Amino acid sequence: MRFSGRTDELKKTVIAAVFGFAVGALTMMVYGYDPISAYIALFNGAFGDPYGLSESLANATPFILTALTFAIGFRGGMFNIGAEGQLYLGALAAVTVSLFRFPSGISFALSIIFAVLAGAAWSLPVAVLKAARGVHEVISTIMLNWISRFLSFYLIAKILVDPLRAEKTISIAESVRFPLLVSGTSLSYGIFVSLFAAIIIYLFLWRTVSGFDIRAMGFNPVAATYAGIDKWKITLIVFITGGFTAGLAGAVHVMGRPPTYAIYSGMPSIQGLGFEGLAVAMIGRNHPIGIIFAAIFFGGLLAGGRMMQLSSQVPLEMVRVVEGIVVLFLAIPELIQVFSFLREIRIPFIFQFKRSQNKHGRR
Amino acid sequence: MKQIASVMVAIFTVALLVVGLVMTPGTAQAALKGKVALVVDVGGRGDLSFNDMGYKGTDKAAADFGLKMVDIQSVSAADYLPNVRNAARSQSFDLIIAVGFLLTDAVATVAKEYPDQKFMIIDSVVDAPNVMSIVFKENEGSALVGALAAMVAAHYGYPYVGAVLGIEIPVLFHFEAGYRFGIDWGNKAYARKKGTNPSTGLLYTYTGTFSDIAKGKAATQAMLAQRAGLIYNVAGPLGIGDLQAITEAIKAKGKEAGPPFMIGVDANQDWMGDGHRVLASMLKRVDNACYNATEAVVKGTFKGGLTVMGLDVKGVAMSNYPELLTFMEFGIGAGKITKQDKANIVSNWKNMREQVPSWIWNAVADLEKQIISKKISVPNANTLEEMKAVRTKYPLTK
Repeated sequence: MRFSGRTDELKKTVIAAVFGFAVGALTMMVYGYDPISAYIALFNGAFGDPYGLSESLANATPFILTALTFAIGFRGGMFNIGAEGQLYLGALAAVTVSLFRFPSGISFALSIIFAVLAGAAWSLPVAVLKAARGVHEVISTIMLNWISRFLSFYLIAKILVDPLRAEKTISIAESVRFPLLVSGTSLSYGIFVSLFAAIIIYLFLWRTVSGFDIRAMGFNPVAATYAGIDKWKITLIVFITGGFTAGLAGAVHVMGRPPTYAIYSGMPSIQGLGFEGLAVAMIGRNHPIGIIFAAIFFGGLLAGGRMMQLSSQVPLEMVRVVEGIVVLFLAIPELIQVFSFLREIRIPFIFQFKRSQNKHGRR
Repeated sequence: MKQIASVMVAIFTVALLVVGLVMTPGTAQAALKGKVALVVDVGGRGDLSFNDMGYKGTDKAAADFGLKMVDIQSVSAADYLPNVRNAARSQSFDLIIAVGFLLTDAVATVAKEYPDQKFMIIDSVVDAPNVMSIVFKENEGSALVGALAAMVAAHYGYPYVGAVLGIEIPVLFHFEAGYRFGIDWGNKAYARKKGTNPSTGLLYTYTGTFSDIAKGKAATQAMLAQRAGLIYNVAGPLGIGDLQAITEAIKAKGKEAGPPFMIGVDANQDWMGDGHRVLASMLKRVDNACYNATEAVVKGTFKGGLTVMGLDVKGVAMSNYPELLTFMEFGIGAGKITKQDKANIVSNWKNMREQVPSWIWNAVADLEKQIISKKISVPNANTLEEMKAVRTKYPLTK
C-alpha cells in the first residue's frame, strides 16, 4: 500500500469527481435531459439548505458504519463484504428487543448491544471458517449474506410481524428511538453514533498495538507473520469488529429513521445499505475519517437524486445511472489498489475454495 | 329625492352583490399551480399493478385537465418519507398522490407538517383533514367473481371453488366475505336456471404470507386435488404460484386452456397464462381513484377523509376486454410478454370466455346491477368475529 500524502489523495478525489460528473452530464445530454438544471437540483437537494444537509447526513448515518466494516477488513488485508447480512440481523435484533417491555433506558441499551452482538455473531463463522479451513471470506460472506436474508424474511414474517399491519414488523417503541436531531427531516441523533464509531475505529487502527498489527498484516502478511503477529487472532479481531459496526448500522437505521421505525417485509428500507457501504469505503480510501466525508457525499448524492426527479424530471433510472457513474469514478483510485491487492491473494477465489476442499492446507 | 333614493338603493344592491360574490365560499378558489405529484413505492413503474394503474389514471387526468404530472419513484422504503416531504416542501403541487399502503406513515407525517397541502393515498387510511384516503369495496368485487366461480364450477362439473389468501388481516376479510356471499348467490342463480342447486363448496387457505410463492402453489395443488374448479388469488404475488399449479394441472390433462381457472386480483391478470387460464380478475381501479381525486382538486370539490369506492363508481370491477388491452400494454412495457403475443392472448381470452355460457355472464351482470342499485347489500367483515359470523351464514361446506 502506498503512503501518498493527504493533499495528493484530495487532488485525486477532486479530479475523479470532476470526471464523474462530466461523464454523468454527457450521459444525461445523450438521453435528452438538461444536466445543468439536474445538477443544480442535485446540489441544492444535497447541501443547498439545512434541510438538504440533514437528509444527506441522515443517509450517511448507516453508510459510515457499514463502510467501516469493509475498511477494517481491507486494512487487515481481507475482503469483508458481509456487512449486508450482518446489518439485517443487527436491525432485527434491535426490533426483537421491542417485543419485551423493559424500561426505556434499558430497552435502548439492550437494542444497541443485541444489534452489535448479532452483527458480530454473524461475522464469527467467517473468521472461524477462514482460520480453520482456509475458506475465503468473499465466499463465506456472500453465502452468509443470503442465509441472513432468508432468515430475516422468516423472522419478519413469523416472529416480529406487526399483528395489525402484516407488511411490517412491530415498530421500535417511541421511547427507544433515536430522537430527531432536526425536526421535519430524517436526521436523528444516530449520526453521532456513526461519527463516534468512526473516530473509535480510527483510534483503534492507528493508536493501538492490535490496530498496528492489523495494518501490518494488510501491508505485508508474510512480514507480519514473520514478525510474530498471530494471523488468526488478527482475522478474528477484524471480523468481529467489522460485525460490531455492521450490526450497529442496522440498529441505528431502524431506531433512528422516521417514520415507521420498523422493517417492512422484503426489507426494502435496509436492503443495500451494506453493499453501498463498500462503495463508500472505496471513496473514503478505507480511512475512517475519509469514510465520514465519503458517506456524507454519497448520502448527498442520494438526497439530491430525489430532487433531480422532482424538480428537473430526470427519471429515477437515469438518476441512478448518474449516481453510479460518479461513484465509480470516485472509487477508481482505490479500485486500482484493490485489484492489485486481489492479485496478491491469487484471485479467482474459487481456486482457493477448491484448495481448502482438497485439504491441502491453508496458505 | 326619489331619484336619490333609487340611486342609493341601486348602489346598495350592487355593493351587496359584490360583497356577496366575494364572500361566497368556493367562488374565490385559489388558482391552481398546475402540477400533480405521483409518489410510488419501491415496486416502481412496471409493477403491472397499483403503480402502473396509478400512473395511467393520473396521467390521463393530467392530460384532461391541463396539469403536469411528476412521478417520483423510490429506491428504498427509506425514501418514502423524504419523497413525499420534498414534494410538499416544493409547494408546487395541487395534489400529491401516494400509491399504496406502504406510504401510509410517510403521508401521515408530512400531512401534519404541511396542513395546506392536499394529499391522496390509495388503499390506506390517513386520518387528517388534508388527506383524501381512497379504499375499495373489495367485498363487492369479490361477490361478482364468487358468483361467476360458483356457476362456472357447476357448469364444468367441479364440486368446489377455492381461495388462496395471504395473511389473516382485516383487509382480506373483505375479500373472503364478499366471495362467500357471491358463491352462495351463484349457487342460487344456477338453481334458478337449471332447477338444482349445485351447492358448490368453498376451499380456502390463509397461507400466512404475501411473498412465499411456493405456498400459493402448494395450497392451490391441494385444492385442485379436491377438485376445485376455480381458484381466487387473494395474496398478490402468490398468484404466480397459484397459476403454476393450475397450468401444471391443465397440461397434465394434455390441454392448454382451463378449467381449472385462476381468478386474478387487484390488477387485470387475465393475460397471464396465455390468456386462457385466468378466467377473470377482481380489479381495484386505482386508475379511476387517481383520476377522481385529481378531478376533485381541479373542480374545487376535494375533501379530506375516507372515500370508499365500490362497483357504483367503478372503484372495483370484474375484468373485461378494455382492461385486458391496457394491462397487456403494461405487460409489454415490463417485458413480460411481447407485442407478438398480443393477438394470441386476445383470441385465447375471447375463446375462453365464449366457452362459458352467456347466461352465466348475464347472471353476473345482473348481480352487479343489483348491487349498484342497492337492491343487494354484500356482507363485509372487519374483524375476526364479523368474519366468523359471515362464515356461519355462508358455510359452503360439502
